[in-house]
Amino acid sequence: MPIVHDFEYFKPAKITEALRLLSKHKGAAVFAGGTDIINEIKEGIAMPDFLIDIKGLSSLNKIQFKDGKLSIGALVTFSEILKSSVIKKRLPVFAEVARTVGSVGIRNRATMVGNICSAVPCMDSGPLLSAFDAMIIVQSLKSKRRIPIFDWFRGPRKTALKKGELVTGIEITIPKKKNAGCYAKLGRYTGEDLAQASVLVLALADHTYRVAFGSVGPVPIRARQIEELLGEEEITDILIAHAQALIPGIVTPITDIRASKEYRLQMCQVMFERALRTAVSRLAGVGPEYGINVTEQIGGVAV
Amino acid sequence: MGKLKYVGQSSPRIDGKVKITGAAQFIDDIDFGPNLLYAEIIESPYPHALIKKIDISKAEKVPGVVKVVTGKDFPYRFGLYMHDRHIFAQDRVRFVGEQVAAVIARDIRTAKKAAQLIKVIYEPLESVLTTEDALAQNPTLIHPDLADYNHVPWFFPKGGTNIAHWRKVRKGDMEKGFAQADLVLEDDYTVPRYAHCAIETHGAIGHYDYSGRLTVYTASQSPFTQRHLFAQALAPLGLTHKDIRVLSPFVGGGFGGKAGVSMEILAAALATAVRGNPVKILWSRSQEFYNTYQRQGLSAKIKLGAKHDGTITALEQILHWDAGAYVEYGANVVNAAGLSATGPYRIPNVTIDSVCVYTNLPPGGPYRGFGYSEFLFGLESHINEVSKRLGIDPVMFRRLNAIREGDSLAYGAEMNPNGMIEAIDKVAREIEWGKKTKSDNPKKAIGKGIALFWKAPAMPPNASSTAFLKFNEDGSLNLMVSAMEIGQGFLTVMAQIAAEILTVPPEKIRVELPDTDRNPYEWQTVASHITWGCGTAVERAAVDAREQIFDVVERGLCKDRASLYLEDECIKSKTDSTFSLPLKDIVIGGIMQPDGTFRGGPIVGRGMFMPEFASASSDPETSQGGHPNVHYTVGAAGIILEIDKETGKMHIPKVTLAVDLGKAINPDLVKGQVAGGLLQGIATVLYEDMRFNKDGKILNANFTDYKIPTAMDIPDEVVPILVEVPQPDGPFGARGMGEHTMIPAAPIIANAVEDALGIRIKSMPITAEKIALALREYKKRKEK
Amino acid sequence: MKINFKLNGQKYSLDVEPYEILLEMLRDRVGVKSPKCGCNRGDCGTCTVLLNGKTVRSCLVLAIEIDGAEITTLEGLMADGKLTPLQESFLAHNSFQCGFCASGMLLSTTELLEENPAPSKEEIKETLSGNLCRCTGYTPIIEAISDQAERRNKIWVS
Repeated sequence: MPIVHDFEYFKPAKITEALRLLSKHKGAAVFAGGTDIINEIKEGIAMPDFLIDIKGLSSLNKIQFKDGKLSIGALVTFSEILKSSVIKKRLPVFAEVARTVGSVGIRNRATMVGNICSAVPCMDSGPLLSAFDAMIIVQSLKSKRRIPIFDWFRGPRKTALKKGELVTGIEITIPKKKNAGCYAKLGRYTGEDLAQASVLVLALADHTYRVAFGSVGPVPIRARQIEELLGEEEITDILIAHAQALIPGIVTPITDIRASKEYRLQMCQVMFERALRTAVSRLAGVGPEYGINVTEQIGGVAV
Repeated sequence: MGKLKYVGQSSPRIDGKVKITGAAQFIDDIDFGPNLLYAEIIESPYPHALIKKIDISKAEKVPGVVKVVTGKDFPYRFGLYMHDRHIFAQDRVRFVGEQVAAVIARDIRTAKKAAQLIKVIYEPLESVLTTEDALAQNPTLIHPDLADYNHVPWFFPKGGTNIAHWRKVRKGDMEKGFAQADLVLEDDYTVPRYAHCAIETHGAIGHYDYSGRLTVYTASQSPFTQRHLFAQALAPLGLTHKDIRVLSPFVGGGFGGKAGVSMEILAAALATAVRGNPVKILWSRSQEFYNTYQRQGLSAKIKLGAKHDGTITALEQILHWDAGAYVEYGANVVNAAGLSATGPYRIPNVTIDSVCVYTNLPPGGPYRGFGYSEFLFGLESHINEVSKRLGIDPVMFRRLNAIREGDSLAYGAEMNPNGMIEAIDKVAREIEWGKKTKSDNPKKAIGKGIALFWKAPAMPPNASSTAFLKFNEDGSLNLMVSAMEIGQGFLTVMAQIAAEILTVPPEKIRVELPDTDRNPYEWQTVASHITWGCGTAVERAAVDAREQIFDVVERGLCKDRASLYLEDECIKSKTDSTFSLPLKDIVIGGIMQPDGTFRGGPIVGRGMFMPEFASASSDPETSQGGHPNVHYTVGAAGIILEIDKETGKMHIPKVTLAVDLGKAINPDLVKGQVAGGLLQGIATVLYEDMRFNKDGKILNANFTDYKIPTAMDIPDEVVPILVEVPQPDGPFGARGMGEHTMIPAAPIIANAVEDALGIRIKSMPITAEKIALALREYKKRKEK
Repeated sequence: MKINFKLNGQKYSLDVEPYEILLEMLRDRVGVKSPKCGCNRGDCGTCTVLLNGKTVRSCLVLAIEIDGAEITTLEGLMADGKLTPLQESFLAHNSFQCGFCASGMLLSTTELLEENPAPSKEEIKETLSGNLCRCTGYTPIIEAISDQAERRNKIWVS
């Protein structure tokens, strides 16, 4: 089935050229992996008059650790995140998230920046970047701005990106404290599937925690109430139960084709506990190794 | 029968190489040259509406558009068992997605663009989306002319209602039967609609040339049936069977979805509108979901009576099938299921009402299992509940009531030889039935489930298969049949059968794909009947060829015919051990005589099979009197299921299926059917179902939302068990087993869930979500 | 726009429109038919090809994007016309039924074995989880790969 819509294609070699094209053509769309937008054009959901392929902007294809910050360029694919040895060593939870995105043939093309630009509620990068207080680096001909992740998502498929702007990358301040994370994703299938609900928990050595949910609201949700409750306390069954009791007030799941809101809510509570216990156990250096989906492992992972 | 050399061997598929090299041609892989046209279909957005006006003027003017057609151009009815469809909707549309018009253009983009310019004005009618609504008092009638439709004599439509067919089975005395019972249990079970999800979508290319020949290439399980239906529907255009040729290349998965005629008739019809040009239609994945056939939904009411000693005394099954807008094929699913809804049990008193109900949803039709998966979910769940209430082990209960050879079936005929008891015992042993397994993890529960199954080929009593077999100069063979290779491995199996009789190794036998001009007749590749029916035709063709060879040797060399036999591609003699004549020396050129003349000539074998004992004639009120089913293939399946009590997620450490296939012609291919069929069946239980909104529009017509299992979603271990109680009229004793591998999947899982958690789920699918939410309810109730 | 690319080792130069999809270009303009269209939205994996050695869904790539790139399809794996050991293993295991997914499965596996010559069954399953098959239940495909990997490693060790 071909694309019926007509559009022009540009592949700039420099960022300034890309920005010029973007400012000149109001109906332009930017793409890197194309795994979302090509489909949307085929189905008539997106109808850009100009398609700007940024794969020629080689400066955007880097994963960099510098000055306590991790930056992920707009061309970095999920496969590259998954295979990066430095990510595996320093922020393995990024690889854990990347591994749950699509399947190999999708991950080889799809980028994390593309994922947050598409901003569909079931995206896997949302809870991760929320938990890490990511900054989205955005450039236009006139200015460069850094948008905190909490200002970035404006609703399903809606972001703070303005006409003429290009996302060049994502930046994360690496927590100074030793930390460990866990991403729990609920899908109907163990293999490639979209999230029905997801939870990311980051445990830090000072006994503080970060918790974010995905797919259970129009945008990713950072659960500050839970973080405050858990803060510097010893994790006990009672404390977990208290935290779980807060979840219905935090997430706003809906019923759709993939799951009911009741199930999503219930699973947020279950997955929160599993992700928390796993993160704590990883922090203590006793595993389980990254890449295990604690939602899929029957009965969770013994921790 | 001596020792078998080829039959019973796990020989490699003869179509293996062509498939792993990418050389196999599927429908979309065939090139048709520069004058190929493309058609785009305009579809109804309403589930039920009158077509008031179609304005095609703008579309016609688009450069590159060759022709626009609507229902007016083809006012012809068609259908396999009932003529209730039109090629394009006429004055009325009956489901969302129904074809209303078509644009034919020089390229697909132009066709798509022009299609957007066609304006159809509809007058929406009240729609009927459930069987309850369809069967209510004074319902909206979906087919007001139902009483006038042509149909096969074994259908009983009720004009003035939405009932397209009602199969009634009555045996014994129900009142007495329930009175004898110590326990009578009633319950309701529901099954949603499902999609086949072959990875290849439907496609067809029609070409009507100036000589009056209509050639249609189709991705099909039924080329001959298609030719017949095309000829019937297009007869007003002067087309006859002789004028129509249907060719089917390799099919990328069928599962029943490519049986009969669905979108292919569009290619046949449209070709006549653009004479001289081939015209191609390829279904998109979403069209594949909403405008081919779907597996019908079912609501079942079951009432079963049994004595304390475990004897079943009576069964009442009321089956209401959501058959969709057109039932030309689907009504026969209802019929087949109705005849066999007792399941594989001996029951003296039986009432079955299998009712085919029109709704304004997409047409139902054949799907691997042909109705048996659907009724077995309820029946085999119910059997477990009854046995549990009687305090009898469910395996013992089944063993006690299982049907045996010679038992009288619900419609009066006799049960064929079968290995049901052996299958039950082997499955029970394989899953260590009776041994409770407890998980070390308190969050996990483990359950075991077992179910029996049976299925007969559902086919008209005169459904036939034929085979031609021709030798080549080197002693190799071309075998021409018109069954279809849909992945099941039939090409290989046919080659093995011919190989066994003619002693020519399977790798020297080409089995050709169907071409209605060149290959002889086959009814359809459905109903798991090909190994049995087409296999018998091939066996007879091979025997025919062998006898011709012996004839030639007798005449050409004065050998005693009775002493001749074949071995290792040679003709040999029992009375003369020195005699050995390679087949290749005589099968084309014959045998030279001392005077230089020859005897013999090219050997061409012919074989035919029709089950002459079958009959669909019976009393419409009781179904007594006929012999509608040729035989049943039976078996049992069992599962060990692990459930995460928090998430409801299920994991299958082991699943096993024992099937009595009479004789495994190729055990490896049989095992392939078990692994594949079981996963397809398991998917209908754990994951899949079709969803519609309140306007009858399908909500999950893609592989993102209607997702099928991936390689990570398979059982840890699949154990196929082959039971071989020969089928007297099958080739080497074989009977079919392709569909049987998926039909017990639902009840084994439902029964294992109950075993693990004490929760009986009575509606499919049994998803993780359903379990998790049911467990929560269960806990809440317990706490109260 | 004119693009230049290498397909299965051969150089091509072609004029393409922006709306052309790589899958369609390969099948309809170059005549390479092994990548199939099963879902047209990246879900089924049967259109998988190698783009500079990495598997991609060719239904989600614009033809124009492959200017300067190297594409390998199933045809390209059999460079000398012979079956690869992986194909031999698939053949021996009767891995496919209808065969429609075969090309995608073989290419995904090829990429896996390049990166990981000794994959575990779990790794094989994970790799194949984007290639849907409705016929086989995946078991004979997984076994063929696992066997081939084992054989290959034995040769390396010995």
